[in-house]
Amino acid sequence: MRTGVVFYGLTHIRNKSKNTPGFSSSSTMTDGDYDYLIKLLALGDSGVGKTTFLYRYTDNKFNPKFITTVGIDFREKRVVYTTNSPNGTTGKTFKVHLQLWDTAGQERFRSLTTAFFRDAMGFLLMFDLTSQQSFLNVRNWMSQLQANAYCENPDIVLVGNKADLADQREVQEKQAKELADKYGIPYFETSAATGSEVDKAVVTLLDLVMKRMEQCVEKPSADANTSDGSSKLSAAPAQQKKCAC
Amino acid sequence: MVQNMEINVSFLTDSEQEFILEVLRRDEDLRHLEDLRVKKLKAEFLDIRRKGAKRGSGKYSERSCGRCQEPLSLLSGSGSQCRSCKHQVCKKCQSVRPNGSWVCTVCAKEIDLKMSTGDWFFDERVNRFSSAPGHDLVRVSLRKRPLSKKHETAGEILLNKVELNTSQAAPVPKPRLKDIALANKSSLLEGEEGQQSDTESIEKASLDSDHAETKFSHSTPQMQRKEELRANSPEDCAVSILMSTVNSDSTATIETASLIHHMNACSDSLRDVDGLFKKSVRRVHKLSEIKPASTLDLREDASENTTPSMGDRSKSVPGLNADDDEEEEDIDNLVNIHRQKFGSSMGSLGGSRTTLGSMMSVYSEAGDYDHVEVSGEIVFSLSYDEPSQSLSVMVHECKGLAYADPAKKKCNPYVKAYLLPDKSKKKTSIKHNNINPSFKETLKYSISRTQLMTRTLQLSVWHYDRFGHNAFLGEVEVLMDSYDIDSAHEECMALRGKAVPQSLLSPFDQYKGELVISLKYVTPNAPNAEDSKGKGKKSKPADGSELHVLIKEAKNLTALKAGGTCDSFVKGYLLPSKSKSSSKKKTPVVKKTKSPNYNHTFVYNNLSLDELKDMCLELTVWDRETLSSNDFLGGVRLSLGAVTVKEGKEEWMADSTGEEILLWKKMMQYPDSWAEGTLPLRSSMGKGK
Repeated sequence: MRTGVVFYGLTHIRNKSKNTPGFSSSSTMTDGDYDYLIKLLALGDSGVGKTTFLYRYTDNKFNPKFITTVGIDFREKRVVYTTNSPNGTTGKTFKVHLQLWDTAGQERFRSLTTAFFRDAMGFLLMFDLTSQQSFLNVRNWMSQLQANAYCENPDIVLVGNKADLADQREVQEKQAKELADKYGIPYFETSAATGSEVDKAVVTLLDLVMKRMEQCVEKPSADANTSDGSSKLSAAPAQQKKCAC
Repeated sequence: MVQNMEINVSFLTDSEQEFILEVLRRDEDLRHLEDLRVKKLKAEFLDIRRKGAKRGSGKYSERSCGRCQEPLSLLSGSGSQCRSCKHQVCKKCQSVRPNGSWVCTVCAKEIDLKMSTGDWFFDERVNRFSSAPGHDLVRVSLRKRPLSKKHETAGEILLNKVELNTSQAAPVPKPRLKDIALANKSSLLEGEEGQQSDTESIEKASLDSDHAETKFSHSTPQMQRKEELRANSPEDCAVSILMSTVNSDSTATIETASLIHHMNACSDSLRDVDGLFKKSVRRVHKLSEIKPASTLDLREDASENTTPSMGDRSKSVPGLNADDDEEEEDIDNLVNIHRQKFGSSMGSLGGSRTTLGSMMSVYSEAGDYDHVEVSGEIVFSLSYDEPSQSLSVMVHECKGLAYADPAKKKCNPYVKAYLLPDKSKKKTSIKHNNINPSFKETLKYSISRTQLMTRTLQLSVWHYDRFGHNAFLGEVEVLMDSYDIDSAHEECMALRGKAVPQSLLSPFDQYKGELVISLKYVTPNAPNAEDSKGKGKKSKPADGSELHVLIKEAKNLTALKAGGTCDSFVKGYLLPSKSKSSSKKKTPVVKKTKSPNYNHTFVYNNLSLDELKDMCLELTVWDRETLSSNDFLGGVRLSLGAVTVKEGKEEWMADSTGEEILLWKKMMQYPDSWAEGTLPLRSSMGKGK
């Protein structure tokens, strides 16, 4: 993938600010100087490391303490996205404002968190490489996504987190890769503790979303042969990576 | 669209709620930022589109680029046609898309805008969440729900809900989300009994998505509460809000006012108020920034003139004015005549300087043009007087006019002026037997400067014939937005004919606003299908199928009435049809607004998908005129594009483009689900051969 995402200046993002209730939450990042607002969302079982993963991505820091997320939260980051023009030369660069939704993995927040699925353009589906159960639940999360996301086959990246805890590993790479292939989505083994592959996973997802976006708006020439009116929505499996538009 | 928005938050503790509330407020800040950014982008785009394109006036050379208007070089041939807007454009004005194809710069901008505003996402989402199997229920809810919900996020809904509760329960410092959930439920029970029965029957079907849809209706009374709070007097709040609706919105709500004690009606109209409010945040800015509502009446002299041109509509409809239906048919006839005229003369004409009806005047002016060679020029000057808010058009003279009757050397010229799209006209006096007439007359228009910027001044020269057959001698057009009105120097422009090569004309050149519609093809029920098999050949496979066309709303229509409003309605034809009247459908008239909510569904029966492939849906928006013929405001033509439609003996090619094709396709591709789209209105419905 030749797409590059780099940090965009030092404009950094507000941290979780739970200490100031009310409308005082202004300041820091208030300029609209970006080209795209892209909303991504992390989901997966409780404790797989969604919050630390996003914290690593936005702030490049690691917090080993487990603080369970209350319902929903989000972090922001601005990046520069570079497209490649068809002839292979470097294309345009865009400023992208990422809104990264963090969701609670706990069951009791489920009705709240799934309600936010519909607002995200791409998903980081995470599991814990040291927990077989969290991996088995990927299937359930997948169907949750298919039911609640903005379309039936949204852009998803499968992320196996805690790759640094090699001695406690319960899920083998091959296993996870097979599942990802079955869904037709990319797979990454990351470590929020070391930061390994974290950026790459997010960048890959961003790239998929940007590509999808282009497909969606460039339709006129793209699907000239869809006049077959008999095709039905129901036959859209997850593997199909075509834009449903 | 909005799915499962009855988010149950009653299980949260107070501190959890507070935490989430804080997150939601941060989200609100970001949303606000994004709204501002999107608003700015859209305003910029409108500006670009207004300036960088040929208009329907046709004073452009065939051999010039449709965008930059530079002449097309002989080497590169005629330039290339943009696949989206169909303009011939030069190399410089082509923009290569990532998929290797190209469109012209303005169309590229439009595509980019769809991406940068996130509209691509909301468009996708709309199509998903309106596709629940219980389509009847969805239809009901689609009808009632304002479009602004399209952009609503879960965070927004939740936050509104919570903040509403905060202000409601003033003595309680911390909001209890549980309360509001309960309140919603109870008011639902009191108020929405009608809907409840629907809800129940669907719930029996126990389909997940259905469930979600109905659940959303639970949250509507909450908006009402919000309004109540704003009104600050809980008892008569419903009345006051309804009254404001009456003033600002439509007469439809007056009827609702009588049902004031019915919660149902009440909440509906309140929802409309809410919708209007929301829209003003995200949508209305489109034109309102460019064309403020402070318009002066331009029509004060509409009745003062009798018209020299034979085809003027108000003359050709004597005595029919009161009857809505006949009156409209008359317009249809005129349009038809014009279509034929346009079509045939296009074929027979090579020279670009001979006169004939221009595309643009297909609806706005059913004039009669003789084939007179146009020659000569017109000298005039324009000035704008700020204190009196008036435009003065000083017509100095014409030079070297053509003879209307070359054999007898007859020419009795006069000049007629329009500030298009307004159709009221001003005329100079008639000079007799003079091909170099000096007029020195001033024609005055009362119009605000901002409004003026959206107009096109058209000066046409006519030969007056005592026996009624006036002849067109040429015209010029001045786009007011690109004219330096304060320079006050004398203009001398060569007169042009009305011939416009069709390939250079896009009916989309003029911004006429947008129409928001949803389409759905409803397949015949399963039992029906079996039935037809059992009975054999008698029933067609298409029996029981329906095409639903939901006319939701129009936006930024051209204001033709005093006060910058219009009384509009939408008319639909599904073509070809056996007779014009059988496929004709109309919405009720929505008064006094440039952005009306129609929420009206046209249903066409017994059509197979195969048949629809060769059909074309024409929707036209009209300004209702009680004492004269209705005015055309714009239209859309939906089909697969380049489909040949046979109307009796006449055959023409549907020229649907872009969104029009996409939406039609989407409708056929996903039967039983709504395909929604916002379509730019065409400024003319002229048809090619």
